[in-house]
Amino acid sequence: MPRPKIAAIVTEYSPNSHAQHIVDRFLWGYSWRGHHHLPPVDLVSIYVDQADEGDLSRDRATRFPAMRIYPSIAEALTCGGEDLAVDGVVLIGEHGRYPLNEKGQRLYPRYEFFMQIVEVFRRSGRSAPLFSDKHLSWKWEWAKEMVDVSKELGFAFIAGSSTPLNRRFPPVEIPRDAKVEEIVCVATGDADSYDIHALEAMQSMVERRRGGETGVVAMQALRGDAALECLARDSWESGGLDRELFEACLCRSHMLMPPREGFNHILPRLEDIPRLLDGSALAYRFEYADGMKATMILVEGLVHDRTFAARLKGQPEPISLLMSIDSFNPRNFFTPQVNAMEQMFLTGRPTFPIERTLLTTGLTAAGVESLWLGQKRIETPHLAIRYQPTEESTFWRN
Amino acid sequence: MTLSRRDFLKATSAAALASPLIDISANKLEAAQGDAPPKRVAIVATIWRYLSHAQHMGDRLLVGYPFEGKWRHPNVKVVSLYVDQKGKRDQSAARAEEFGFKVYPTIAETLRAGSDKLAVDAVVVIGEHGNYPRNEKGQKLYPRYEFFKEITEVFQKDGRAVPVFNDKHLSYSWRKAKEMVETSKRLDFPFLAGSSLPVTWRFPEMELPLESEIEEALVMGVGSSDAMDYHTLEAMQCMIERRKGGETGVKSVQALHGDAVWKAGRDRRWSHDLFEAALSRVDTQYGGENAHPQDFANNGELQRLVKDPTAYFIEHNDGLRTTLLMLNGAIGDYTFAARVKGMSEPQSTQFMLPRVPNVTYSACLVNKIVEMIETGKAPYPVERTQMASALLDRCLDSKLSGGERLDTPELNIRYRAPATSQFCKT
Repeated sequence: MPRPKIAAIVTEYSPNSHAQHIVDRFLWGYSWRGHHHLPPVDLVSIYVDQADEGDLSRDRATRFPAMRIYPSIAEALTCGGEDLAVDGVVLIGEHGRYPLNEKGQRLYPRYEFFMQIVEVFRRSGRSAPLFSDKHLSWKWEWAKEMVDVSKELGFAFIAGSSTPLNRRFPPVEIPRDAKVEEIVCVATGDADSYDIHALEAMQSMVERRRGGETGVVAMQALRGDAALECLARDSWESGGLDRELFEACLCRSHMLMPPREGFNHILPRLEDIPRLLDGSALAYRFEYADGMKATMILVEGLVHDRTFAARLKGQPEPISLLMSIDSFNPRNFFTPQVNAMEQMFLTGRPTFPIERTLLTTGLTAAGVESLWLGQKRIETPHLAIRYQPTEESTFWRN
Repeated sequence: MTLSRRDFLKATSAAALASPLIDISANKLEAAQGDAPPKRVAIVATIWRYLSHAQHMGDRLLVGYPFEGKWRHPNVKVVSLYVDQKGKRDQSAARAEEFGFKVYPTIAETLRAGSDKLAVDAVVVIGEHGNYPRNEKGQKLYPRYEFFKEITEVFQKDGRAVPVFNDKHLSYSWRKAKEMVETSKRLDFPFLAGSSLPVTWRFPEMELPLESEIEEALVMGVGSSDAMDYHTLEAMQCMIERRKGGETGVKSVQALHGDAVWKAGRDRRWSHDLFEAALSRVDTQYGGENAHPQDFANNGELQRLVKDPTAYFIEHNDGLRTTLLMLNGAIGDYTFAARVKGMSEPQSTQFMLPRVPNVTYSACLVNKIVEMIETGKAPYPVERTQMASALLDRCLDSKLSGGERLDTPELNIRYRAPATSQFCKT
């Protein structure tokens, strides 16, 4: 089989951008399973939407002349010809100067890029596997359309955060026959940005529960004091969460802010939390169709990592873990994500279900909507998304 | 409805009473431990200031630590403390007052906790950090041996010995380390020592099968001598001691630094596949414009970035050859690779060291100390640490001699690894 040719369609290729970490791995290779691994694909073309100050794409194209820069998405996909000339597409719509809308969403042109890509697919009468970074779009209807189009044209499509694919401490999955009653994810960031990482972390864990995923029927976003109030209540029914799950998350953190000077690692008391925060806390409460309850809490400053805990029916102890993302150069947490793309490009099959990211995109947008409506609980019938997980685990463990 | 911050504080204070989130300021932790009285512990430290080993390990015995997704409060009570040096940032008096123990002026008084007989169930020695001179080999002369002597004198005078933990290497001197181990055997008390690297998380979760035939091993790390090369040696030792026949002792050592290390590499003093495997387990790479991933094993950058590499070559009595490389300037992690008979690929892993301030790896080590205190058995043999201590001492002799290969009959240390894996998997 000839080596698949790949096109990268990115918003910006600046130092430390997602595009840099992902595309660099296709060019230089990366450490994988005890070796330096050179991806068995050829990155032949790139389109950069904003290539001004700090742009690295020209430097990369000079070092790797096999990768050519094209001035449009269509030309990158056709390599300057008439028809689709690549066997896979990497879409990275993260970083760059794009406006915010009135709800605070950054209007990254992921949908617009996607539509230009599938326009080439359509007119060429041929499609290619596609990866799209982070949530599919800031707009639910567009995300849904992207997934529908991928089904219509029948190409493999994966998307999302690198968190589901990354290292876990301990390296566990929820057992396939487990009924999950309640989950908590404690993480950092804010709405429409880092929340997607936490939501994808949660979803990649719970989709393996008994019956697979059945979707979310309602949600409520709480910010600031309302989010802290949620933390202070110790059961879902009282408007809060299972305190033991929250504590388990903090106990799995490797970056937990000590609440007292002179101590390097102590468990904060609830009343310590407000003064440890950088900015305001954000809590999303999700009601799943099968009765599972989920709380995502973003507490930037209290922690600097992402942890997860789940209460399984019939199990006295919750399961809990750190979903590790460490920010040392060269940002190895991008490694399993690039490897997942490679697997898709080589096999033509998605490495994990696109419905996971369709759901998390919907959850992200619903969070923004609930905040916009004054932190109101909203019904989410459109998020009754059913899907099954992969048979095998897909997180990085060897 | 939203609450003001003040309301939140009120609500949470009330909730905290019933909550499992603990109140660390109240020394009421034993209440949760059932009827067994807590084990009484004396801590003997060089210095107790923020982020010293005594602080981050000692505090875990006071405020607990995370373990298997819960905050664990071991059933121990620190009853006495000795600190050798009290600088401006000393925390010992504040800790003693808050947690209800006393700081004594001598080690003997600390062990007797104000009485005239040994009054503790275990002693935790943390002789790391503080101002101590260095010898001509660059070793910091921490008084761990001297502390140990004073402790065991009390054991002998009072006719009772209790478990002892010694943080890091036993001593800068192989002779002193040997005497410490012999004394512990003679007085018959559990003696645990060493680094957190053997017990911290690994990525991937790799352990060489017990009794596997290891053909060659290589470990790499960073940091200064004699603090960090010690950790690296002990990380290697905890892996290779599981080989067929166990540890049989070391026949010779040689330490090289500078260009001689790169020449040794070109001369294939270590296998390139192990070098590549260990480098592939590194997460932090320096150099490289804009931090692109690098193939350090083959791109020539390592030799440019590492200004003063160090290599220790170790030849074991059973023929095993191992290599330690300290690669400051290029990498930021501690990794290991070995070739095992019957396995087609090198086996490799990283010893994970989560960051400051939490340094959660020290919770893994403190949990082993607690295990010894609770069970009266050291979970792994002190000979591992004796070996790492003595190896470092003799490797530094070789380095001082300009890289001579030294015969090492004093490293004829034989022991068996514990059958069960001891690193953190949960």
